[in-house]
Amino acid sequence: MEFKQAQLDNGLKIIAEVNPSAATMAAGFFVRTGSRDETPNVAGVSHFLEHMVFKGTPRRSALQVNLAFDEMGANYNAFTSEENTVYFASVLPEFQADCLDLLGDILRPSLREEDFNMEKGVILEEIAMYEDQPHFRLYDNLMTQHFGPHPLGNVILGTSDSITAMLRDDMKAYFDSRYSPTNVTLVGVGNLDFDALVDQAESLCGSWQKFDANRTAEQTAGTGSKGLIVDPKLARQNIGLMCPAPSGQAEKRFAAQLLATVLGDTTGSRLFYALIETAIADEAQVSYSPMDGAGVFMTSVSTGPERTGEVLKIIDDVFQQFLEEGPTESELQAAKNKIASHATLRGEMPMGRLTSVGFDWVYRQEYVPLEKQIDELFKVTAADLLALAKECNITGGTLLTLGPLEKLPE
Amino acid sequence: MSEEFLTKIFPNGLTLLGQKKDDVSSAAMTLLVNCGSVYDPSALAGSSSVAAEWLFRGAGDRDSRALNDAMDALGCQHDINARSAHLQMSAALLGRNFSEALDIYADILLRPRLEDETFGPSRDLVVQDLASLEDEPARKCNIMLREKFFPYPLARCSYGCEETLAAMTPAAVRNHIQAHLVPDGVILAVAGKFDWDAICEQVENRLGGWARQAPQRPALTPQAGGVTHIQKDSSQTHIALAYKSVVCRDEDYYPARIAEAVLSRGMGSRLFTEVREKRGLCYHVSASYTALKDYAGIFVYAGTRPDIAQQTLDVTVSELRRLAEGIEAEEITRAKTQLRSSLIMQGESTSARAGTMASDWYHLGHLRSMEDLSQKLQAVTEQEIMDYLRQYPAENFTILTIGPEPLDTSKIEQAGGEVA
Repeated sequence: MEFKQAQLDNGLKIIAEVNPSAATMAAGFFVRTGSRDETPNVAGVSHFLEHMVFKGTPRRSALQVNLAFDEMGANYNAFTSEENTVYFASVLPEFQADCLDLLGDILRPSLREEDFNMEKGVILEEIAMYEDQPHFRLYDNLMTQHFGPHPLGNVILGTSDSITAMLRDDMKAYFDSRYSPTNVTLVGVGNLDFDALVDQAESLCGSWQKFDANRTAEQTAGTGSKGLIVDPKLARQNIGLMCPAPSGQAEKRFAAQLLATVLGDTTGSRLFYALIETAIADEAQVSYSPMDGAGVFMTSVSTGPERTGEVLKIIDDVFQQFLEEGPTESELQAAKNKIASHATLRGEMPMGRLTSVGFDWVYRQEYVPLEKQIDELFKVTAADLLALAKECNITGGTLLTLGPLEKLPE
Repeated sequence: MSEEFLTKIFPNGLTLLGQKKDDVSSAAMTLLVNCGSVYDPSALAGSSSVAAEWLFRGAGDRDSRALNDAMDALGCQHDINARSAHLQMSAALLGRNFSEALDIYADILLRPRLEDETFGPSRDLVVQDLASLEDEPARKCNIMLREKFFPYPLARCSYGCEETLAAMTPAAVRNHIQAHLVPDGVILAVAGKFDWDAICEQVENRLGGWARQAPQRPALTPQAGGVTHIQKDSSQTHIALAYKSVVCRDEDYYPARIAEAVLSRGMGSRLFTEVREKRGLCYHVSASYTALKDYAGIFVYAGTRPDIAQQTLDVTVSELRRLAEGIEAEEITRAKTQLRSSLIMQGESTSARAGTMASDWYHLGHLRSMEDLSQKLQAVTEQEIMDYLRQYPAENFTILTIGPEPLDTSKIEQAGGEVA
């Protein structure tokens, strides 16, 4: 395993974790832009643009892009979050050059009007699809409620109205303000030839003009407000709680990962024993999302509407008790072992390592080998977790419930 | 892709399968036990899902909490699900912790506590899973389609129904589980970093004395088939349909997989191109080959806004049928490259390897190397694909839709009565 890095004159960074014994390689362009970088009139443009990137370039039509990926048997996709848009593919090493040629080409899309109008329909379908999945609705609405006017509250998909009203030129203007090579990192993992990767990136991306595309990442503690979305069509009540957590740059992110695991992993956590083992809820989880200059812990629970008050009381009791005593040594050890196992299993596949290597660089400009990541994790103490839980005020935070319930329990 | 398989069949009928990968530090396991939903007595429908919850609530010397904590302390990622024929348990962790995890599983198989006081919560979780399904129409649509497509009760919804769940007693479910937790037909597949001799010895010591009679399979009734619409004021209309395909051990399995890839693998595939890319009718459209041991089908799903749902259904069905009119050589080449590459990628995951080994053993009665599978796929000719498509045309659909309005399926020939 060897780490390599390079930078083009226009600022585009290239990093790779090279592993000659891997059977495959994965590569991705990590663009530092997402819904937090949007203005309200183009809500959803980052994600819509992600779709349009697959719709062709001066060299390729949309169909040719798709066929080219399929011809090399690539496992490929893209995703958009609040602050990153990532285009990635995993291929056999023999397809390295073809894969790069394609990824590098599509990152300068034509954004043809006809494709734009067709894809609008697909985005509207995607919005409708998530409307039929309550846990996505809960997440979107809770983020908005927690962050309030802060741009991290922007919904990734936008709304049917914002998408319908969007013009092709709005998207082009957004592209021209965000897709600067200084905002792009090319990440490679697995069995790949790094020198060839750099040479090819130079010829594909070297001519991209750089411009200022910074982001002001303002701190926020969140609104701490309480909300209720009444939907009589739903059978279950979806409960979400959100409080601040260490950012993607913070050293405490390892402690944060452990805290989320101890409090709300899907097995063996405090919430698991309090809510799932007792069958008071059918889902209960605490997740940790580190972001640029901010972070959140999100607690999400699905339960019967009539048990909402009881569930809220239990969550509060569980968190309160944790604040009094912190984790036991065995809880902490189990959480470390679970995270280490998970990272190891993912790390055995280049595709599984890609986002870890990529985001370590995007957020902190550092390379952290898997072993070092696990070492850092094992250094965290019970006292660290307790201090973090207090600092983040886990019993406070923003509350939202979604379901048939017509009013929040007292 | 050099692969070496290790196999040991114990006198009580348990089969142990292994594939070593020395360049990894993980070990993954898939364990199949003949206690799937097909064996649930009608009056106890849902008991296999209850079993999936209940079995982990204490075994041997450990109570529920101790068992869970022991798995967590090993950093063991684990899952258990009621499938059609089996309870499927899977686990993945660092190879050095594998034998300790295997001991816990031996306890779960041989000495599950199944206590009265842990029954209630186990059942209640399944009751809630069933209730949650109402809020997830896409998932419900696919589960209901499987139930209607396969001869009953092969793919009955594993959550059962409200009435059977409410009426269940701990004693009835306990008896059912104990009658079905038998070594005969059990498949235990391990992939990754492990010591084969040590595992053989451990299985011999812990599970070698396990001996009970294999249960009888219930009689099947023909598939319900037909067209079902479930009225729901959902944002999308959810469309699922299925038609017959070949089983895994059939010679036509390989052409069937190529045809499936041409139809739905990758964004350049027929369905994605025609339904989504050219017409913008949906976000998700896909077709996938789904097989039980003796029955198989191509399962198609599309989620689409109600006003264009009819068009989505019509375009989708016409694409399914157009396949039999001919396939371009490039489409076949692409499909073969995709399948070869996907096999190699699966080979990098110990969990995927363990799962595939267990499944191959169950479906085929032997293991199939990735290399062998890859070669067989590469050797498929256009003629063989066309022959397969003529023999298994996109006809006699079982259709299930969930949405505000039913769709017009009169132009689509329907199945009914006959066994799939």
